[in-house]
Amino acid sequence: MRILFKITLVLFCISCNHMVDQSLYEPSNLGDNPISNFSFKNIFVDSQSSGVWGTKEHPCKQVMFSSKKNSIGKDHLYIKWNQTAECNYLGMGFPWGNYKSKNLAPILKDAAIELKIKVDSGSYTKIPVFFALVDYSGKQCMTKINYLGIEGGQIDTNWTKVILPLQTFNYAKKGVNMGNIKELKIEFQKKGAIHLDDIKVVQHKHNYRKYVESSTKTYTKHPFSIGVGKEHWWGINPEYSNNFSFISKDEFSSNFISKTKGHTKTSPETSEALAVTINSHKKQIWNNFGFAIHNWKRVDVSSIYRTSAVQFKIKADSIPKLSSTIRCYSGKTRAINKILSESNYSKIKEGHYNVCIPFKSFVNFKKMNWNTLKEIRFKILENSNFEIGDFKIIEFRGNPEKPNQWRGI
Amino acid sequence: MARNINTYTFLFVLLGIMLSSSIFSQPCKVEIVKNNQEYTLLKDGKPYYIKGAGAKSQFNLLANSGANSIRVWSTNNESYLDSAQKYNLTVALGLYVRPERSGMDYNDEYAVKGQIEQLKKEILKFKDHPALLVWGIGNEVDLRYSNFKVWETIEELAKFIKKVDPNHPSMTVIAGLDPSKVYMIKKHCPSIDILGLNVYGSIERASVNVRKFNWDKPYIVSEWGVNGPFEAKKTAWNAKIEPPNGFKANQRQRRYKQLIEKDTERCLGSYCFLWGQKQESTATWHGMFLSNGNPTEAVDVMHYCWKGEWPKNRAPSIKNIFLNDSSWRKSNTVLPNKTAELKLDYVTYNNNQIDIEYHLYPETFSKKIGGDKQQSPDEIPLKIIKKEKGKLTFLTPQKKGAYRIFAIVKNEKSQCSVANIPFLVK
Repeated sequence: MRILFKITLVLFCISCNHMVDQSLYEPSNLGDNPISNFSFKNIFVDSQSSGVWGTKEHPCKQVMFSSKKNSIGKDHLYIKWNQTAECNYLGMGFPWGNYKSKNLAPILKDAAIELKIKVDSGSYTKIPVFFALVDYSGKQCMTKINYLGIEGGQIDTNWTKVILPLQTFNYAKKGVNMGNIKELKIEFQKKGAIHLDDIKVVQHKHNYRKYVESSTKTYTKHPFSIGVGKEHWWGINPEYSNNFSFISKDEFSSNFISKTKGHTKTSPETSEALAVTINSHKKQIWNNFGFAIHNWKRVDVSSIYRTSAVQFKIKADSIPKLSSTIRCYSGKTRAINKILSESNYSKIKEGHYNVCIPFKSFVNFKKMNWNTLKEIRFKILENSNFEIGDFKIIEFRGNPEKPNQWRGI
Repeated sequence: MARNINTYTFLFVLLGIMLSSSIFSQPCKVEIVKNNQEYTLLKDGKPYYIKGAGAKSQFNLLANSGANSIRVWSTNNESYLDSAQKYNLTVALGLYVRPERSGMDYNDEYAVKGQIEQLKKEILKFKDHPALLVWGIGNEVDLRYSNFKVWETIEELAKFIKKVDPNHPSMTVIAGLDPSKVYMIKKHCPSIDILGLNVYGSIERASVNVRKFNWDKPYIVSEWGVNGPFEAKKTAWNAKIEPPNGFKANQRQRRYKQLIEKDTERCLGSYCFLWGQKQESTATWHGMFLSNGNPTEAVDVMHYCWKGEWPKNRAPSIKNIFLNDSSWRKSNTVLPNKTAELKLDYVTYNNNQIDIEYHLYPETFSKKIGGDKQQSPDEIPLKIIKKEKGKLTFLTPQKKGAYRIFAIVKNEKSQCSVANIPFLVK
């Protein structure tokens, strides 16, 4: 037993040799310190050497100076708050260098505001507190405590170092002049109690990226295919209904090409094609289908929508009765609708039609957000048998009410 | 020797306590099985159909009404899980993923990673709680969003759960059903097991649309109830028209029995909204309780839905409310400082004693969405001229503006039915 204990102890001691201190923060490079020339490093040390406003008695907030177990200086801040309906704004601030103008622009990429926080009991990974930098025109940018900026990953009863990288303040979005900062403010939300001390500007490298927006696809010229890829379609589910089924787009397209040219292979960018069979007289719930304009991204056609039309082909014994809806992601008007008439159909040959629906012919087309287009839906309004496919957005400059008379197609 | 025996006894007792506590605090094993086309949720090997409510209080009444689960939207309050367990309720535990509309920027790697790491810590903290049933990763993050990168965060958390917590499936909850959302979740979140649907008016076509939009896994109706304020008709001055409790009770009952329960193939159960009270356009829209904690007839409806029988004591039910003989569905205008008459049609059921209260409030025109927090207005003194059975004669406010008058019909057990009617003084 004793031998086992000794072996365990030895193993433990050996393993301790391999424990290496890990830090969330980049090691300081004292030789090349870009904030060394910055004169206003200290924001709050204690009540005697640093100014604080917002300490007056308040029904929802108490700001006190406590001299017990400070992190630095002669005292520290102890703040308790409870945001109620009567107290919409709960804040306090630091004049920071007696309200002298601070130029943070040169140190934006290399500095952070560091502070020490502790709580009376428990441990927290987030605190409902926002930090704001205010410039001399009154504009302010905000940030909040990020989990990655909390040393050790939690705020507890011990002083915990918290880092607010300057780059995390949303100054670009809010138009704040970081070259002319007046003060640091703290805004409290919900309910809480924290001890706060040792607020200062420190050197810090913020190694995180800002990604570029990738949720939007922009089109500036015609034509382009839509409804490409079966995974971008809905309403076709053979487990529950046989009303719609995918058919070969090559075969569908070859119907519209003269036989002398033979069988053609469509490009991968050609839309899917469907066989539609609705024969039931009962109230049909599987009577509509739809597809993304482009991979369910937000599609921006704002520069061309006035001269655009949806075009597709139909193979049918008689013209089917359809309605079409264009939908977008945002805006007050999210959908515009159009019931197709004979004027939308142009006969290519017997039983084969080109269908064109100008955007301008949709009711309320002006109210749509043409930079957030989402999908096109079709509803079959009566019993029908037909094939449909080769969906495109094309250029259209004719009379929107008489699209089949335009010869530009 | 005696000392040794004492030591051994102490160690034995300690071991016993440790073993028993670990047995009783073991997480339940929750899994989804598929037989042919039918999905079933199994809890510790037994089928478990979720009869749940979005709830943070009144757990005793919830359990007595036949519910077996609650849904909470975040991990902020650990006591909900402990309380739920006390009443033998399970918990669909929300992981609060910040929606874009709250200012979250999903192009900001620091913000995204910080949120993920913080939530991973929450997952590790709660994964073994015996009340935990499923994880709810995000609530309505799709509402008015423009950056689809949010789904990468949802997937990273779902993947983490798969790795560290094989006992509980993951759900992500969306605001209404839409083919683009289904596509995004299928494509970007393959580790998500269940789709949570917050559907109010759109519950009517939810089970069909789940199939139409190609969702091929099970779903939970994660929030449902009466049509929301965002779907309501408005008066000429943009006040939302709220149906009386009696109307809403019928709507709830029909939706549960004819829509939720009917989809035995894909639907694993539901959480009604809201077993509590909150201000959402009005103080009574979604809440099944009043702000003073009194239950409304919606509680009885859920009792009927979950247990198949009505409770012994039922709340009264307001079927209709009129202002100067004009229905709650209309835009009612009055003159300032004039006599007006409010009339109620209500059913008392088996109640002998009925009290009716009336309250007047200024109209609130909140633009908040997605259940975001709204401020309650302050009550205005009501100048009552005459109170008769189901009829109130009062003096309209002198100040021009939009108001809303509430009637609360209450039995001796404080079970209530509420109705209100907005009106414009001009």
